[in-house]
Amino acid sequence: MAYTPQDYKSELKPIWCPGCGDYGVVQAIYRALATIGRPPHEIAFVSGIGCSSRIPGYTTAYGFNSVHGRALPIAQGIKIARPELLVLVAGGDGDGFSIGGGHVAHAIRRNVDLTYIVMDNQVYGLTKGQLSPTSPRGFRTVSSPEGSLEDPVNPLMYVLGYGGRFVAQGTPADLSGLTQLVVEGLRYPGFAFINVQSPCVTYGSPDAQLKAHKSSMKNLASLGHDEGNRLRAMELAAEYGRSLYTGIFYRDPEPPPAYEALVAERRRALTDPGASRERVLEKFALR
Amino acid sequence: MTTDLVIGMAGAGGDGVIAAGEALMTAAARSGYRAMMTKSYGPQIRGGESSFHLRIATGEIFNAGTMLDIAVALNWDDFLRFGAELPVGGRTTVVHDGAEGAALPLEGVSPADAVAAPIAEMARTSAGTEKAKNTVVLGLLAGWLGLSADSLLAGVRKRFARKSPEVLAGNERAFAAGLAFAQAHPLRTDRRLCETAPPPSPRWLVDGNEMCAAAALVAGCEFFGGYPITPSSEIMHFLGREIWRHGGTVLQAEDEIAGIGAVIGASFAGRKAMTATSGPGMSLKSEMLGLATIAEVPLVCVNVQRGGPSTGLPTKSEQSDLFQAAFSAHGDAVRPVLAPISVADTCRITIEAFNIAEQFQTPVILLSDADIAQRKEVIDPIDPRAFTIVDRRLPNERELEHYARFQITESGVSPISYPGLEGGNFLASGIEHNERGAPTASGEVHAQMNEKRIRKLAPLKARRDLFSIEGDRDAPIGLVSWGSVAGVASEATAVARREGIQMKLLVPRLLYPISEEVYEDFFASVRAGLVIEQSHQGQLFRIIRMFVDVPRGLESLARSGSNPITVHDVLDRVRQMVVAFQRQRVPQEEPTLG
Ligand SMILES: Cc1ncc(C[n+]2csc(CCOP(=O)(O)OP(=O)(O)O)c2C)c(N)n1
Ligand code: SF4
Ligand SMILES: [Mg+2]
Repeated sequence: MAYTPQDYKSELKPIWCPGCGDYGVVQAIYRALATIGRPPHEIAFVSGIGCSSRIPGYTTAYGFNSVHGRALPIAQGIKIARPELLVLVAGGDGDGFSIGGGHVAHAIRRNVDLTYIVMDNQVYGLTKGQLSPTSPRGFRTVSSPEGSLEDPVNPLMYVLGYGGRFVAQGTPADLSGLTQLVVEGLRYPGFAFINVQSPCVTYGSPDAQLKAHKSSMKNLASLGHDEGNRLRAMELAAEYGRSLYTGIFYRDPEPPPAYEALVAERRRALTDPGASRERVLEKFALR
Repeated sequence: MTTDLVIGMAGAGGDGVIAAGEALMTAAARSGYRAMMTKSYGPQIRGGESSFHLRIATGEIFNAGTMLDIAVALNWDDFLRFGAELPVGGRTTVVHDGAEGAALPLEGVSPADAVAAPIAEMARTSAGTEKAKNTVVLGLLAGWLGLSADSLLAGVRKRFARKSPEVLAGNERAFAAGLAFAQAHPLRTDRRLCETAPPPSPRWLVDGNEMCAAAALVAGCEFFGGYPITPSSEIMHFLGREIWRHGGTVLQAEDEIAGIGAVIGASFAGRKAMTATSGPGMSLKSEMLGLATIAEVPLVCVNVQRGGPSTGLPTKSEQSDLFQAAFSAHGDAVRPVLAPISVADTCRITIEAFNIAEQFQTPVILLSDADIAQRKEVIDPIDPRAFTIVDRRLPNERELEHYARFQITESGVSPISYPGLEGGNFLASGIEHNERGAPTASGEVHAQMNEKRIRKLAPLKARRDLFSIEGDRDAPIGLVSWGSVAGVASEATAVARREGIQMKLLVPRLLYPISEEVYEDFFASVRAGLVIEQSHQGQLFRIIRMFVDVPRGLESLARSGSNPITVHDVLDRVRQMVVAFQRQRVPQEEPTLG
């Protein structure tokens, strides 16, 4: 049976501000899911807290809108428990690189087959406009009225630096490009990271809106970038905040088995068909 | 002859003190004795001094005992470092290595008697190495206690089977030397154990953490996520070895938050799941526990309590996390808190924790403590078929037609689906939601959902099997105790009743929510009593009083961890209560104005 984007659109009406970049992201997700074609009940979609983290509610799937910064551990538990599911994770820049930053490194090195989409708007939307870990130095917000004194986290370098094997960036300003990135991420057999420059129209910087993206974005493929070259990917990723590159920075040409595949292998090797749970206690008998 | 004996021994790293304790315990168990052993180590990470405290008895044992009957000091420096763990008193027989001189460096105590045994010398002459000191001690104790020399020697042989024949022969000679010394220098006869019949089937030797992990497997646990922390890590270690055989998985996560996060994920995906932690790790889990409450995700969170706050006393037992277990969530969250009282009890209560989690779709906190978790006990075999295993209530076909994950039902429990089940998809969330899972800020829905989530737990309060009562039904004196300390209260109750004091003891395994009815029934006849627990504030005492009108004479007997509460302490307080009763009965003379 073929699925249409409409099949993944839930009954809930988004509460996002008109013009919010996240509308484009959810559209790209609907389209990508239709391309992949898995039935909604075989999809788990996990998020943290933030405007962006509302997104599983707008998607027809088994959704989990959890707590701030903790989507990745929950998603890994789901995928390990039921490897047959398609598992997506999404959230904001604060969710992923501030409060939840510690989990990202471990999701990368564990390499559970998840597709992690960060809606990077360089600001805290839900809590009404404070600094985010990706806000540029000097950025003025309600929590930094005189301008921020910190350098931003570079999400692309962060993930590449920890050994990420699929790293991409997109923007809803190029919806078909973004859709294709989500499709590629979902197809990648391991941890895939997609940073989406998803503008916050209400609190975001005027230089980070869709219109600006349209004129400044540069597609990596059309620049002739070789997505199997990790070092070159890092050079390009270092331009985060200065140039808006879209496309795949790096995709491991020879992906190793994902974590849950290794778990399944170990389970197969160690599961003892004769083992009875009732008899576990007998281990303690003195013989 | 005696039916009950407490032995303590300490020595330097490498003296094999713990191995000796385990050998004694195993031999005693094989011969039909009951035993309970705690171990203590110095602060060094590896290889420091160590000690064991072992109680052996012909009948059932409820606690590890305190004052030593026999103290074995391989050297005084190391022995004295365990002052709190190895108390020596006027009834103790002290065995020490004569090489350090005859004087006993025990300030303020004159033990019943002292035996200077040339332990190190015997080891050197018989085995050619002081490493055999612990085997000499096994020989000594075999002779003095009357434990089966064959059984102990079999243990020694098993231990050294893989070493060279010389090492084995040396240890056999060391054992014989100890035995011969004991026979030539007999102790008082009350240091000798009465004979006991061998058990009908082999008894079990197990500690609380191993039991918790094994019981989780019996209950159907398929996923464990956690982060190492003393004194709970052995639960993860055991499952790391065993769970795979049953098709399950263990994940050592990057921290305690991720550990419980993965557990929430696995349970959301339809698998029975557990995490275990202690102290600071429990603090980190708070937010995720709240998520499990509102998203109605079943899980078991074991907290092996240690001394706190913060790093506190990582290796010492305390019962100071009850407030946290009951109240650490923000919002109106009620979650069941269970506590076992012994290693054997840990089996049933762990299975109950899973059953309650699955039946009521709630996180359950299992409050073990370092004492139960780390002590080894000889127990009777447990038949796992005696337990019912409860699974979560899945939606039926009709319910899946218009599936409402959080449907407000009469019981408050709603059918729960899992990813992969067609028609069962829904949004789980930490944000308040309506019956279909849609986020909401409606006060009306919030109130209904709070009511549902709390109401669904009401049947728990009627679970009288989660409480035990012993003693005289209508007694005027009533004790309440929980966790590892309950064993002390239990023995004190038995002793007091033998003295003719009418009293009873209530031991809850369900600590929260408080069952008003159970406590009110128990207190109906009580005029004075004690709530006995190992915490500075007396946390159960205070929680009971939040919910129940208690008798005026109910007091708290509570102290910080690492300050054991003894049977003696309880009896002292109980006797004072009896005296106070008697005074009240004597009519006071009116003071005359002169
Ligand atoms: C533990 C915790 N701390 C703080 C918050 C408040 N909070 C909610 S969302 C958020 C940040 C949102 O920013 P981001 O993750 O970038 O998402 P956005 O709203 O921009 O999409 C904060 C601080 C919370 N919910 N939980
Ligand atoms: S505040 Fe910003 S991020 Fe949030 S919905 Fe509005 S535009 Fe989007
Ligand atoms: Mg943001």
